[in-house]
Amino acid sequence: MAELGPSIRDDPFIGSRFGQWLDRRIPPNSEITLSQRNIFIFPTRTGFVFGGLLILLILGAINYQASLVYGVAFLLGSLFLVTILHTFRNLSDLRLELVGSRPGFVGEDVEFTIRVLRPPGRSREGIQLGWPDAIQQWAELVDQAADTVRLYVRAQQRGYLNPGRLLVETYFPLGLLRAWTWVDLNARALVYPRPVFQDFPQSVQGRRDEGELIDPFGSDDFNDIKTYRPGDPVKHIIWRSYARSDELMIKQYSSFVEPRLWLDLDVVSGDLEEKISRLTGLALKASRLEREFGLRLGGVNIIPGLGEVHLEQILRELALHGLQR
Amino acid sequence: MDSSDNASVGVAYQIPRNALALLMVAQVVVVAPYVLQLSPWIITVGLFCGYWRTRVYQGRWDYPRRWVKAGLVIASVVGVIVSGVGAFSLETASSLLILAFALKLVEMKSRRDAFLVIFLSYFIIATQFLFDQSILIAFYELAAIIVVTAALVGLNQLHSIVRPVVTLKIAATLVFQAIPFTIVLFLFFPRIAPLWTVPLPSGATSGISDRVTPGDIARLTQSDELAFRVVFDGEVPALRDLYWRGIVYSQFEAGTWSIAPDLRRRGEATFEPIGDARTYDYEVLLEPTLRNWLFAINAAFTTNDPTIRRTRNHTLEVADPVMSVFRYKVRSYPDMLLDPLLREGFRARETHLFGEDNPRVREFAASLYQASGSEDAYIAAVLSHIRTQPYRYTLSPPTLASVNSIDEFWFTTRAGFCTHYAGAFVYMMRAAGIPARMVGGYQGGEINPISNHLMVRQYDAHAWAEVWSQDRGWQRVDPTAAVAPDRIELGLSAALSVADRATLSVFSNARMGAWGFLTGVLQWSDSLEHRWNLWVVGYDSNFQAGLLKKWLGEITPTRIGIAMFVGGGVSLSVVAGLLFWRRRPVKQHPVERIFSTFAAKLSRYGYQRRPEESPAAYVRRVADEAGLSEAQVGGVIAELDTLLYNPAIAWGSTELRALRNQLRRLQFRLAFGS
Repeated sequence: MAELGPSIRDDPFIGSRFGQWLDRRIPPNSEITLSQRNIFIFPTRTGFVFGGLLILLILGAINYQASLVYGVAFLLGSLFLVTILHTFRNLSDLRLELVGSRPGFVGEDVEFTIRVLRPPGRSREGIQLGWPDAIQQWAELVDQAADTVRLYVRAQQRGYLNPGRLLVETYFPLGLLRAWTWVDLNARALVYPRPVFQDFPQSVQGRRDEGELIDPFGSDDFNDIKTYRPGDPVKHIIWRSYARSDELMIKQYSSFVEPRLWLDLDVVSGDLEEKISRLTGLALKASRLEREFGLRLGGVNIIPGLGEVHLEQILRELALHGLQR
Repeated sequence: MDSSDNASVGVAYQIPRNALALLMVAQVVVVAPYVLQLSPWIITVGLFCGYWRTRVYQGRWDYPRRWVKAGLVIASVVGVIVSGVGAFSLETASSLLILAFALKLVEMKSRRDAFLVIFLSYFIIATQFLFDQSILIAFYELAAIIVVTAALVGLNQLHSIVRPVVTLKIAATLVFQAIPFTIVLFLFFPRIAPLWTVPLPSGATSGISDRVTPGDIARLTQSDELAFRVVFDGEVPALRDLYWRGIVYSQFEAGTWSIAPDLRRRGEATFEPIGDARTYDYEVLLEPTLRNWLFAINAAFTTNDPTIRRTRNHTLEVADPVMSVFRYKVRSYPDMLLDPLLREGFRARETHLFGEDNPRVREFAASLYQASGSEDAYIAAVLSHIRTQPYRYTLSPPTLASVNSIDEFWFTTRAGFCTHYAGAFVYMMRAAGIPARMVGGYQGGEINPISNHLMVRQYDAHAWAEVWSQDRGWQRVDPTAAVAPDRIELGLSAALSVADRATLSVFSNARMGAWGFLTGVLQWSDSLEHRWNLWVVGYDSNFQAGLLKKWLGEITPTRIGIAMFVGGGVSLSVVAGLLFWRRRPVKQHPVERIFSTFAAKLSRYGYQRRPEESPAAYVRRVADEAGLSEAQVGGVIAELDTLLYNPAIAWGSTELRALRNQLRRLQFRLAFGS
């Protein structure tokens, strides 16, 4: 994954002629009011079956010369036409606003909040919003003039997630027609790398003077000489001293770890993405254990600290490392 | 919902409960009117399936298992085949349709199933009109369409919304908004002739039959069902002249009168006008008969329909059986000389007697004919015999044997209704060698005083005789008039005995004027039904052509297209206007309105009213900024507060005018800074 652009989910329109046309017709904006300029309408499959029913009825009316069978066919046909207006109106003049997004990790769902508002007057029902392949949500504007909808999109890779054009559609009132539009609300959410959890690496040791004893039986730094007690490691016994004094003495070593964890690509293994995942895991772990941590990544240098904001800042740097901002 | 079958149906594909509840109602509404047409067991199966689905809806029962479903399908098909013995009729088709609908309803799980059930419902609603197109049924089915449409709306609503009444309202709005364009389509959509033949209703309609066996009928059932309505162009002729010919029975065998084989090869019917021909012009709106023959006064000629032909017997026939109200315009020439020359084949046919039957009548006829001397005298003698001997008119005659039935009637029972008398008379004529035949149709009718049309009902059915003579052609002779003259002069009710009348329904009696108030109501409803038939049910290609010619001048596809386009455009624009017209902001309080005008004027002097400011606060601030004293504005402020916020104060135009003046004075002060 050498080249990572801003990740765009498999938008069906990107690059296509229709996509370019859509971009001209419905330019991206975080607030969009729907009108005849940007609403499309077409019969559904059910609508075509309904058309077939009408043809059958008219054939029946012709063959039986029954005026009222014509009447039923015409009434249903007119119903279809009137429904065009109703279905269109159900979307028309709706206002969509992107309220915000909440970041998530790769493999999880990122949340986008969208507000749907209708002008005063008639209610709107059965408005479905969703990005392709994601679960659709219904907005109901019957008793209320505005509804807030939370949409979730599965994050596939770190960086900024642009879910593409949002499908807003309605089948109301009869399901015979579908009115829809593809709006680009400039939605963008930050996707943190997928965390890979591991132990804090050994190499992240601090100097003795500023470190903190974390393993009294570590083998790195000489610490003290003590009387042997059963259970002490045998290899630490100072045999020379035993020869002199008949008393078993041991050298005590211990490890000192810098309490402030420095996250650095060098402390983890794997390729770049794996390293970033591991650093993410370390950051989360450190944050949960309330251990100060900092980040050295490329030109970024965040001094160790703690707290939500700090964590977010570090996760953000990890998420965007090597990507166009 | 815990069955494994259900788990496979995702939430998005499930049927919202609102829609399900409405579908349950819809199925009862849709199936109910078929009670009149279909065998009860089919209705029972339909309702039971609906009940089953309701129990599933309530969570009490489970969906039918696969083998139960298979069993139900097989049982239904077998049931239909067994009960619908004989030809494949419209009843068979609609029975299958309703059973399919009911069974689909029970197993309905997904939205797609629900769509199918709804579309079937629409179809079943339309099918009902093949049986009955009365105004009552029409309004009922309109309501049914609203209920079914509501179910369709429910399918597209959120699952959590369960407000059937609101959904019904939405559906009703849609349907009513669709009505204007429906009318445009109804008026302008071209009506074309049937494309292929279709299964007919199995036809248990009471009406004139093509075979009559008088001796078999122990009691003539008298239905008050409508046969047809007639609209005369001028005066309605006297009832006794209204002989609606429909069918000619020329063949008599073993007690049964029937239509003779066609003799069309032997040349067309002939006629000659006599004198200055009187004419009757009228339009008949014939109720469905499932037959080809039409009813008209002799000698009838159609004026507007190429599908109607005149038969060799001077009757009218239409190309396809009459399945819906059929309207045709007729001009009748009552004085026409029909068949001045009777060709040999016809003479043989109209004098034919079967074998050696009814020897006593033949003998009686021969001697009476000899005694009379002329044909006319013979006819008079036969009628006089009926009149003077103890013959009796009754709807409940004794039955007759099929052999020598006329002997039995003429000499023994001497009681019968029109076909007995007409049959015996024709037989007597033929026995004397005079060409004669029996004609079936209707006689008389009843005038509806409200819309002045004539109603002819099944109990007006009648049979009479036609006798041919050298110089007068075919002449009508009605032997029933000899036994029951009132029947012809005044209609059936006058001829009936008390016993006969008791056998009639309340409605029949009421129609015959026995009940004052009910008679009035029936007349009113009939005239409504008549207009319905005239304008809606009877709106056929001929009527359409006449109407469009009047409106558009000339009927061309372009003109019809333009008319449809304009009509459709207007009717849809009205709906669009209703939908998209933005209501103006909430009506302002008149005081508030006066004040906003004032504030708008003040803003010119730089006093901008802030949106949150009340009128009083605004005036106070402006006065402050302009350096006006409390005394100068206090009155206005108090007035504003009172008019706006004191609910106890009633204000009228006087108070408003005073306020306007005060504000104007204030404006003046501000403008000139005094």
